[in-house]
Amino acid sequence: MTDKKSSGLHWFSPTFMRPGLALAAVGVFSLGALQWSVHAQAPAAKDINPPVDNCNKVVEDTLPDPSQPTDPKRRIARKIGPELLTSGQPCAQIASGLGLLIDNSLGNRQRSFDYYSWLTFLALNSPADGKTIGQGPRPGGDAATKWESVSNYRQLADVMLDKGVKPTWGERIVPDACKALDAPDKMIVKLGEAAWNQPFKTGPLIDQNGNYAVFDILMNQPMFDFIDQNGLYSKQGQERFDNDVVFPLGNNPVSNATDPTKNAPGRMGAVMIKVSWRILDPEKDKALMAKFHTVDALIYFPGPPATKTGPTCVAKTLGLIGFHVGHKTQFAEQWAWTTFEHVANAPDEEQVAKKTLQPPYSFYNPGCPTCPVNQTPPDPWDPPASLKFPTNDKSQVVRIKMLPGPVLQEVADLNRQFRALLKGTVWENYMLLATQWPAVHDSKTDCNGSPAPTYLANTTLETYSQGRVPLASSSCMACHGNATTQHVPATPSDFTFILEKAQCENGTCGAPVTGKRPAQALRCGLAGQLH
Amino acid sequence: MTDVTRRKIFGAAAGTLAGAAAATATAQPAQPAPRDPADVNLFVSLSAALTGIAEAKLAPPVDPVQVKNDYYDQAKSDPSFVALMQIIRADPSNPAAAADKVMNNADAKIKFLGRSIILAWYLGAWYPPVVLQQPAPNSPVPPLKVISSAAYTQAWAYRVAQAHPMGYSELRFGYWSDEPLRLTDFVA
Repeated sequence: MTDKKSSGLHWFSPTFMRPGLALAAVGVFSLGALQWSVHAQAPAAKDINPPVDNCNKVVEDTLPDPSQPTDPKRRIARKIGPELLTSGQPCAQIASGLGLLIDNSLGNRQRSFDYYSWLTFLALNSPADGKTIGQGPRPGGDAATKWESVSNYRQLADVMLDKGVKPTWGERIVPDACKALDAPDKMIVKLGEAAWNQPFKTGPLIDQNGNYAVFDILMNQPMFDFIDQNGLYSKQGQERFDNDVVFPLGNNPVSNATDPTKNAPGRMGAVMIKVSWRILDPEKDKALMAKFHTVDALIYFPGPPATKTGPTCVAKTLGLIGFHVGHKTQFAEQWAWTTFEHVANAPDEEQVAKKTLQPPYSFYNPGCPTCPVNQTPPDPWDPPASLKFPTNDKSQVVRIKMLPGPVLQEVADLNRQFRALLKGTVWENYMLLATQWPAVHDSKTDCNGSPAPTYLANTTLETYSQGRVPLASSSCMACHGNATTQHVPATPSDFTFILEKAQCENGTCGAPVTGKRPAQALRCGLAGQLH
Repeated sequence: MTDVTRRKIFGAAAGTLAGAAAATATAQPAQPAPRDPADVNLFVSLSAALTGIAEAKLAPPVDPVQVKNDYYDQAKSDPSFVALMQIIRADPSNPAAAADKVMNNADAKIKFLGRSIILAWYLGAWYPPVVLQQPAPNSPVPPLKVISSAAYTQAWAYRVAQAHPMGYSELRFGYWSDEPLRLTDFVA
C-alpha cells in the first residue's frame, strides 16, 4: 500500500538501488565531479517514511450540517457509498471530537476511528492488481489482496530470519521443503509457535472440523525499513541500538492556503497486520468458499526447535477469519488498533443466552450447549503436519461483551452500512469489532494514552483473554505497551512484539552486550513525536 | 476541608490492598441503572471539592474509563445519598461550600457518607458509612469491597504517591530506573 509510484525521489537515491547498480553508480560518480564522489561515500539516508500521494481523502466521517452553517457542532454523517470502495488507505484518522453527537467527544472520536478502520479494511483488502474490492475473479469476487502482495507487505518470518540475517524487501522466500508444491500465487506461512498459539501462550484455536487456526503477522515498508536501517532484525543488532525505538508516524497531507510553509505531504507511517485463518477443504467446504476470503497457502514446518514436526510443507486452502491492523499515526502515537472478524466465527454471549443463534459457526457447536466456552484444548498443543488436532476437542467460542453499549450500537450501524456496500462479495461476511485508540495521546502518566475502549478482543486472535479484568483481559495498547526489545537492559519497542522474534547473528548469541538505556525526554518515550 | 489525612489514606490503602488480595475476584460494577448525567456531573463536582482533586482529573472530558459512574452507583445505594446530593443541588455554583456542609453535617449519616465517597475516589474501595462511624480500630478498616475492576486501577492514592496499584502500571518498561515523574504530572 505504500506506493512505489508515489514515494517520489527516494527511488532514485543510490542507497536504494540494488547492490550491483549501487556499486556501478559509485564507480561512475568517482570518475566525475568531486561532489558526486562525496555523495557516494556518505549517501543521504533513505526516507523510511516517504511522502505518498494517495492518502484517503474522505477520511472524515462527518461533515458540517449545511442546514445549520453557523453552528460548527452540528454535523451530518458522510454518505457511505460506492465511492468509498476505491478511496484508498487513510494515512491517519481524522478525529476532532466533533460528530453526530453533541458534546460527546468520546463517542464522536470512537465513530471517527471506526470509520477510519473500515476505510483501512477496504483499502488493504482490495485486489493487489488494482481492481475494486469484491470484483476479483474468484467466487464472491475474491482476489489476492494488497497486503498479500510481497511488494506491499512483508511477513514477519521473512524479516526476522534465521541467524539474524539482513532481510530483503519484495522477494518471496520459498523453503526447500515447499519448492515442489510452490506456485507464484501461493502464500507461504512459516510456522513458529506464534502461528498457532495465542498470545501469552494461552493455546491453539481448533475449528469445528478439528483443524488448527493459523496466524500470521506482516508489516508495511516504512516499518520494515525502520527495522532494516537500524539493524533491529538481529538480537545483537538490537543490543547495539542505543536509541529509542520510534516507528514512523502516518499523517494526512496538510494544505494551508494562507501559510504555504505549513503545507506537508501525507505519509503512511508504520502499519502492521495480524491475520487468522481457518483451513477450508475446497471439496467438503465448497459451500463456504464464496463466504470467505481465501488463499492457497503452503504451510511450512521448519522442524525443531520452531516446530516438533518438519521440515516439511503442506498445501492448504485458508479462509480469513480475523484481521488486525495496527497503524501508528499522528495523534495516535500509541497506534490505532483495528480489528475485524468473520461474522460466522462464533455467536455473541447474548445470542447464546437468548437462543438466537445463526449457525453454522467455525468455532461454536450449537448442539453442545453444555460445552465449556472459551477454554483451551488439552495438551499437547504442537500441530502435526495434518494440522488436525490429535484429539476430538474443538473450541467452543463465544464472543464476550466487552464494549460499552453505545460503542456496540455505533459499530453495528457502521457495519450494516459498509457490509451493504459489499453485498454479494466475500467481504460482506466481515465485521468490524471496534477500534482502540488513545483518548489522551500525550499523557505523561499513562503511556498507553488511556485506551478507548478499555478492552477489545477478536474471538479468533484473543479467544482466551476476552473480558473486562485489567491486565488479564485483552487490551491492544495495554498489552503491546509492555513490549520490549532484546537490548540489555530491555527498552520499550514502541508497541510491537515483532522485535522479540529477532534471532542471534550466525546462530550464536554469546554474552549480551550491555548498552546504555536511551535518554527519553518524556517518560512515555514520545519525545519528538507529539504535535 | 476534611480531616482525611495523607497518613490515614495510606493506612487505609494498605487495608484495601489486603482486602483486594483476599478476595478471589474484584467485584464487578452493579447492573447499570439509569443515571441522570446532570446528577452524575454534580456528584463529580462535589467529589472534586471533597477530595481536593480537580474535576477534570476525576472525570476527564474524554474519558473511556468512566469510573465516576461506578462511584456514583455505589454511593447512590446509600440511603443518605439523596440528602447528600440535595446539599450540592441547593447551590451547584459553590461545591466547596457544599463539601464543607457535608463534612460538618449534623447528620452523621451524611457526614460519613461524604467520607466514604472520599475513600472511594482515593482507594477505589467502598467503606460503608456505618462502619466509618464506629470508633477507630487499631488496624486499618477493611473495605466492604473493591468497587469495580476499573476502580482498582484508578484509585487516586497511588497517583498522589506517584505510584501505581500492585500489578497494574501504565508506565513504560524500565520506568523504575528513571526519576519519578513530578506530582503535578499526576494530579495538576
